[in-house]
Amino acid sequence: MRFRRRTLSIPFVLFLLVFVVAPLAVVLLYAFTNGQGQPTAENFFAFFQSTRTIATLVYSLWIAFVTTLMCLLLAYPTAYVLARGGYRKGGVLLLLAVLPMWINFTLRITAVKELLDALEGNLAYYPFLNTIIGQVYDFLPFMILPIYNVLLSLDQKVLEAGRDLGADPGKLFWQVILPMSRPGIVSGITMVFLPAMTNYVVLDMLYNSTYIMGSLIGSYFNAYDWHNGSMISAILLLIIAFFSWLEKKAGGEISESSAARGGSLL
Amino acid sequence: MKRKLLTTLLLLGLALGAFAGCRGTFSASQKAKTSDDPSVVLRIANCEEYIDLGDWGADETIELDDGTKIRGVDSMVKDYEKWYQETYGQKVRVEYSTYGTNEDLYNQMTLGNTFDLVCPSEYMIMKLMSEKRLVPLSKDFYEETKYHYYTKGVSPYIRDRLNDLRMGDERVGRYAAGYMWGTLGVVYNPEVVKDEDANHWNMFTNKAYRKRITIKDSIRDSFFGALGILNEKELKELEDKKQDPKEYEKRLDDMMNATDAKTVDQVESILTDMRENAYAMETDAGKQDLVTGKTGACLQWSGDAVFSMDQADEDGVALSYAVPEGASNLWFDGWVMMKDGIRQDKKKQQAAEAFIDFISRPDNVIRNMYYIGYTSCISGGDDPLIYDYLMYNYAADEDEKDTVDYDVSYFFRDTEGKGNYTFAVPKEQEKRQLFAQYPPEDVLERCVVMKCFDQEANQRISQMWTNIRCYRFPWEK
Repeated sequence: MRFRRRTLSIPFVLFLLVFVVAPLAVVLLYAFTNGQGQPTAENFFAFFQSTRTIATLVYSLWIAFVTTLMCLLLAYPTAYVLARGGYRKGGVLLLLAVLPMWINFTLRITAVKELLDALEGNLAYYPFLNTIIGQVYDFLPFMILPIYNVLLSLDQKVLEAGRDLGADPGKLFWQVILPMSRPGIVSGITMVFLPAMTNYVVLDMLYNSTYIMGSLIGSYFNAYDWHNGSMISAILLLIIAFFSWLEKKAGGEISESSAARGGSLL
Repeated sequence: MKRKLLTTLLLLGLALGAFAGCRGTFSASQKAKTSDDPSVVLRIANCEEYIDLGDWGADETIELDDGTKIRGVDSMVKDYEKWYQETYGQKVRVEYSTYGTNEDLYNQMTLGNTFDLVCPSEYMIMKLMSEKRLVPLSKDFYEETKYHYYTKGVSPYIRDRLNDLRMGDERVGRYAAGYMWGTLGVVYNPEVVKDEDANHWNMFTNKAYRKRITIKDSIRDSFFGALGILNEKELKELEDKKQDPKEYEKRLDDMMNATDAKTVDQVESILTDMRENAYAMETDAGKQDLVTGKTGACLQWSGDAVFSMDQADEDGVALSYAVPEGASNLWFDGWVMMKDGIRQDKKKQQAAEAFIDFISRPDNVIRNMYYIGYTSCISGGDDPLIYDYLMYNYAADEDEKDTVDYDVSYFFRDTEGKGNYTFAVPKEQEKRQLFAQYPPEDVLERCVVMKCFDQEANQRISQMWTNIRCYRFPWEK
């Protein structure tokens, strides 16, 4: 057989098959069968019949939404200053911003917990606030990086053109820079929103172990109810697919060069 | 397009083939082992950190009054392999693995992991019994011969309670050899929580301790605590007029093992309160928060309680342990042999039973107790070593003023009920480590074993547990 570049992809395809496709097939198989192994769609309807599961889903979305919003509000100015502030050591500053990512995030949350407890006296009184702080702390770098990359690679000529046409700095930002940084924002949002929906460790530690989608699925498996657990996983998958599709529609594709630059930092 | 599909299918087939191939060669090589190589492979699964792993420093050596020195140099498993070869003249190789919870073990075994000897809790043993997945311990195992340390050494009290426990019409004691046992109780800081309060289950819903106590992130334990609150009045009445011990035992058992829909509903509302009142639902961090003073009390198993108190002592904080009045839970972890692991292999069964005996040898019992902090089901029989170890740990010094006599005869006496095992201890031990390790007999009388839920009840209780952990819309409250 002649060596072709495609051959290089075989390890990855195998990896995908064994660790992504096959488990997915198993999840779907369990989701659409009952305890006796007969095919059924009952699990699907069971999900929507329980106020508990619906409330958890809505709440997961809400937590993810607030987390994403806070991340965006914090990350955009940071990325802007880092990318366009004219610091000679901008790269070093960026490094400082993403540095926490090098430490395991469970460890970081444990540290945050101690910090919050010292600040608040008893952290059990402010579970929602603490959860959002923990989540933002977890995901902020994922928002900063893509926005930073987009801002860094803005075409100077376009900005100059804007200025030449009489735009003041405010107008330049709102009408030129912000729209042009949309791909970064969109990919930042997906990188934060989707994992934030299932990030149960933060809630376990900071919100009296209230269930979020991730831990809700776990609870079914602990009770040997693999069928309903798999169904919730499948529904979650659908929701994630929907948001990914939205992302694509919104133009979140990040250009190759900026992604590569971001990648070299991690 | 078609070709793409074909390639994918082909690759899928290849992957599956490779997968199956791996499994095939694996079992083939195992088969080769058993036929050519005389050594027996024993697959043991145990809870994490639930056996002595050795590596003790020289200063950790336990030196008992009679001059016996005990120190874990190698791991218990390694020592067993050596001992088995010396004693039975056969090679054994232990494949030792660990799991986090009983449910993890069950899921692992359902997913196709095969073990020969496992160490679940009593309710999981009952579940496995009901599924006919266990091999009973052999008749020979119960003969009181030289190396049968379990049968010679198991505390008659524990043996009887294991035998009283039935799944269907079979005794649990026929399948399980007790390993560790204990109670479910409350570890508390007496400076934060009053002794009186810690002795009642309703401490967990007491608003005076709002956000100052933790509960356990464990369905069964929390369910039990809530039952204690639910039945508080009736339990008190029952205890006051305690006439017929048999009748009392039965009533207690029925009440604390209730799983009907109405009870579960009531428990749900109590648990919602408990959770609302709690600082957090802890798995492991509970003891840390106690030591640092963030919380004043938490629900714990007696073995963990001993560990918490030891740790806190090092930090200069004196914690106490209480077994709430009314009723509490008595639990066992025991060694059982799996049918699909042992099969008909007599050699394997012998090695498995020998493992139980080896870890029941008094010096090994002490090593394990020292290492993991739980209380062994073994009292030692004719061998006074374990009682000596107890005195080594807790007996009051001669110049100690505030002492009480502590009676552990129920646990240490022989099969005929003879022997007096009472010794003087510092008064504080009445509610500290000693109390957690060997509670007095009257405390154990009000402790019931929590049986395994049947399928229907399990579903109901799991759903209830999910309900209380899920978010509630504001208008639902």
